[in-house]
Amino acid sequence: MTTTVKKEQSDSFEDLLNPVYKGKSLTDPINTAEDKWNLLPAFLKVKGLVKQHLDSYNYFVDTDLKKIVQANEKVLSDVDPDFYLKYLDIRVGYKSKADPKQIEVLYPPHECRLRDMTYSAPIYVDVEYTRGRKIIIHRDLEIGRMPIMLRSNKCVLNGRTENEMAYLNECPLDPGGYFIVNGTEKVILVQEQLSKNRIIVEADDKKGIVQASVTSSTHERKSKTYVVTKNDKIYLKHNSISEEVPIVIVLKAAGIVSDLEVLQLVCGDDSVYQDIFAVNFEEAAKLGVYTQKEALEYIGRKVKTIRRMNAPKLTILQEGIEAIASTLIAHLSVENLDFREKAIYIAIMTRRVVMTMNNSKLVDDRDYVGNKRLELAGQLMSLLFEDLFKKFNNDFKMNLDKILKKPSRASEFDALLHINIHSNNITTGLNRAISTGNWSLKRFKMERAGVTHVLSRLSYISALGMMTRISSQFEKSRKVSGPRALQPSQFGMLCTSDTPEGEACGLVKNLALMTHITTDDEETPIRKLCYILGAENINIADSSTLHTNGTFGVYLNGTLVATTRFPIRFVNSFRYLRRTGKVSAFVSIYTNVHQNAVHIAADGGRICRPLIIIENGKSRVTAEHLQKLKNGEWEFDDFLVNGLVEYLDVNEENDSLIALYEKDIFLATTHLEIEPFTVLGAVAGLIPYPHHNQSPRNTYQCAMGKQAIGAIAYNQFRRIDTLLYLMCYPQQPMVKSKTIELIQYDKLPAGQNATVAVMSYSGYDIEDALVLNKSSIDRGFGRCQVFRKNTAVLKRYPNNSKDILAGMRVNEDGEPIWQHTALGPDGLGEVGMRVQSGQIYVNKCVPANASESVLGGAQNGQQAPPQQAHREQPMVYRAPEPSYIDQVMMSVSDNDQALIKVLLRQTRRPELGDKFSSRHGQKGVCGIIVQQEDMPFNDQGICPDIIMNPHGFPSRMTVGKMLELVSGKAGVLDGSLQYGTCFGGSKLEDMSKILVEKGFNYSGKDMLYSGITGECLQAYIFFGPIYYQKLKHMVLDKMHARARGPRAVLTRQPTEGRSRDGGLRLGEMERDCVIAYGASQLLLERLMLSSDAFDVDVCNTCGLMGYNGWCPTCKTSETIIKMTIPYAAKLLFQELISMNIAPRLKLGDVF
Amino acid sequence: MSREGFVPPTAANLGNAASGIQSIKNYGVKYVCAQCAVNFTLSPKEPVRCKECGHRVLYKARTKRMVQFEAR
Repeated sequence: MTTTVKKEQSDSFEDLLNPVYKGKSLTDPINTAEDKWNLLPAFLKVKGLVKQHLDSYNYFVDTDLKKIVQANEKVLSDVDPDFYLKYLDIRVGYKSKADPKQIEVLYPPHECRLRDMTYSAPIYVDVEYTRGRKIIIHRDLEIGRMPIMLRSNKCVLNGRTENEMAYLNECPLDPGGYFIVNGTEKVILVQEQLSKNRIIVEADDKKGIVQASVTSSTHERKSKTYVVTKNDKIYLKHNSISEEVPIVIVLKAAGIVSDLEVLQLVCGDDSVYQDIFAVNFEEAAKLGVYTQKEALEYIGRKVKTIRRMNAPKLTILQEGIEAIASTLIAHLSVENLDFREKAIYIAIMTRRVVMTMNNSKLVDDRDYVGNKRLELAGQLMSLLFEDLFKKFNNDFKMNLDKILKKPSRASEFDALLHINIHSNNITTGLNRAISTGNWSLKRFKMERAGVTHVLSRLSYISALGMMTRISSQFEKSRKVSGPRALQPSQFGMLCTSDTPEGEACGLVKNLALMTHITTDDEETPIRKLCYILGAENINIADSSTLHTNGTFGVYLNGTLVATTRFPIRFVNSFRYLRRTGKVSAFVSIYTNVHQNAVHIAADGGRICRPLIIIENGKSRVTAEHLQKLKNGEWEFDDFLVNGLVEYLDVNEENDSLIALYEKDIFLATTHLEIEPFTVLGAVAGLIPYPHHNQSPRNTYQCAMGKQAIGAIAYNQFRRIDTLLYLMCYPQQPMVKSKTIELIQYDKLPAGQNATVAVMSYSGYDIEDALVLNKSSIDRGFGRCQVFRKNTAVLKRYPNNSKDILAGMRVNEDGEPIWQHTALGPDGLGEVGMRVQSGQIYVNKCVPANASESVLGGAQNGQQAPPQQAHREQPMVYRAPEPSYIDQVMMSVSDNDQALIKVLLRQTRRPELGDKFSSRHGQKGVCGIIVQQEDMPFNDQGICPDIIMNPHGFPSRMTVGKMLELVSGKAGVLDGSLQYGTCFGGSKLEDMSKILVEKGFNYSGKDMLYSGITGECLQAYIFFGPIYYQKLKHMVLDKMHARARGPRAVLTRQPTEGRSRDGGLRLGEMERDCVIAYGASQLLLERLMLSSDAFDVDVCNTCGLMGYNGWCPTCKTSETIIKMTIPYAAKLLFQELISMNIAPRLKLGDVF
Repeated sequence: MSREGFVPPTAANLGNAASGIQSIKNYGVKYVCAQCAVNFTLSPKEPVRCKECGHRVLYKARTKRMVQFEAR
């Protein structure tokens, strides 16, 4: 490889765009087919892997927050009609006069992590209110603090260079996109949902039911409206209407009075549809509903009324109007009682039902990615904030009314004095929701748990993988295949490999490499644009023309807004405007021929991805453009603005013909894939040659890559995490992929290139066990460090006493006692000291009288006694292996209590039973560690680090691993790094050529000599480097044995689990074996004598238990018999007695 | 390990000095400020705060005792 001439240590993304990159300089010829992949780093530079989180949060903070405040801008008083308070503006992090770029955050993120605080910025509002007769404007009133998403535009890290990041103790490679709440990093996972405000048609063939449903979601409420069939008649169903209403009555109530117009709107002039629909007219006629008034009254009678406290009672007619206007299809707003838009919407729903009754293939697929929306952190935060803001205003108003009610006041009333009382509610509400993950919103009756997760910092990849994760709302326990299956429509949008195994399989997904999730766009300008482009406004169009042949409806976000006779021209001109940048790039438009519809989607949460535009069989992106990209003149957005590349969402993708490679382009092609390997996500991108592996193996690796120990971040030694695994000498893989470079796994790797010999050795390599070379381990192979955090808080108590640190205790010689050897004179462990099991590293003492009342202390004297009695409550180290004190941090937490964090370090070398895996889902434990002298070696004296059993290959079919070995070997001999990129990478032929050039066998096999006998081995051995990961499952954390030990208090049986030094259970199946064998004495010993044997006195007359040789029931000691039963059995008898059931023991002779 | 000596009244213990309470003993354990890396000692009753820059995260300095590692 030609080395880069000037290697600047600047921003890491920069060198992807440098003049000389990967051996290609400016003067080299540009080949579009090969170099178009350069768009990908350009895309990631602009968008980044977690850009969707940041975009959504930025949108929330900058736009949505203002909208929420605008919607709830006024606070009025019920008592004083002259009073008002109006919110003028809301800002996060900067004051009205300050520069919006200069964000005030109290503490930088790393300090928040260390001090267990929340990384947040103040929320300022400008208010206008009345004080007496004056109107006062007050600016920069702080109403709470907003948790800041790291790397968002409100974060201090936004736009920092690598040097500035280092100054702030942050890792430049950290993706951001998470929050820091109370010192823990929390991620709001992407939530997958069925799209809102869209009609979904479903059919149940067995029951013969067809239903069209729409979930209406507005800021105010969420409701679902159904149009269903019942006995081939169509009804409308809604939660707040007590029974199903015939559809014709609903349409009449909505102002479509004539039967002819109903038929025109629903069926058009199609006689088949007319026949299907005709029965519904009879239904309405039978009920005697002919006019709009009759229809409204009919509906009014069926409405379930939930009246608020002091709302006036409505007449039946008003109820009916209310139902049509605001309850049904709630996302359409009705102005001046003009129901036409809503009537058409219901008619369209009905038409879809009629169409599906005629042809059952016209149903929608719930699992189709185009029918899904992804809910991101910003949307969830905005729901939460609106709820809290409303509550805040409500509390404020209540407080206001209480004070204004009082007849006379000493001073003039100032509302500002009272608004601050509640300012804590917003802060704590936001913090609590993020830190617990419970999203409970009263407005929607939404109660969602597990929305947030602690960001897993096991490895860089696990953190990254968490940011791209999508969780589904489906129940995990249900055995449904549909939502779990791989959908063809997720191509390029969601990773095809990365999903967990087991119960969440297929429900938890990951984003592919090059995706974007849209945010909401304004509807009104798009609607106007539709009319300008020649579509006819639906509200003035004649009903009879709606479904005539060749007329296409134009639907904006699922609502029919216009019709057009020229759908192709309409769509083309709309796309043209989008490509020229007149319309937002994320608005999608596509035609649905079955429904005669042109759909325009501008809502948030759609997944989309960029593709190269092809016109007239020619790629719009040419060598010249790529040259500009290379020179750094152009960025990704320039391709977008110039109409060379565009974003397509899943629905629009369906409307286009996308060529995979440039050679596949023909005249009808509309788009060209930027890079095929973007079907995979970031985590699956680590796998070399994944296209040669059996697909489940790639899925296994996606799960294991997250458990690999490696470098975590550049600031890893500054972090004090609960548990941190670090590899001592991580290496970047010999066989990389382009994804590895893009996500910069090569800078924070998790694994080492081990020289592997694929052969059998000893008997300790069966069942995927590995043979490790002892000298390799001595040289540092697989060596890792484990850091564990221990926190002590020095509390203050209400009676003025507080926890203190006591110094070390000394024995008569003045030497510290053994337990205190690691302590310093201040009562904290000395940094660098070794602590062994039983030793103390924080000698905390709590006051003996902490619970004493506050008043008692005050009565005794003015001051608390200077010398209070304290009781030692030290932190004792308990683990089989000693640790070293790595860091002792002292600080002060939020509530002014001293916070002490002690970081303990262990260095571990691989041992028997530690788990390793290659990057192909091939895991194995270390079965034996062999002296290097006994290992096989080749004629150059090279010894393997790992010997892998060849039986791992045939059934797993991981050909990618073999290719990795050959490419890696070629790379080692050649001094180059090879590529194993998906659908590409270094070719086997070229690799073999290098091997042959260097004097090796083309297939990667070597002749080895036995290390034991010195004879050469009978077969040629497949021998070369494979990247091996050390997984976090280590024997030291799992080993456990017990002879005697603690018992549970209630049952007196041995405790359970390693953490409680529990016993080893002889379970049901083991018990069955012992029974079957007939070893009754063994059974007795295991289940009673060694567990919870208990001597009881049983009375042979009454059969109940007595004590001390006395039966309290029979008042005698004559028939008492001593015997041994399990304590649990005795407990059961007593529990039964307590429930008035008398279990009586009847005793017989033994033998 | 440490010698008890005269501690000049600082802003923190001036109140104590005035009220006649015996000044708090100083163990002589060194702490390092996380921000400005200055080395200083702190007595147990003093607030956790850097004496130079006022930063509130402190690390304990490495021990002066001999620590032997097992090389394996």
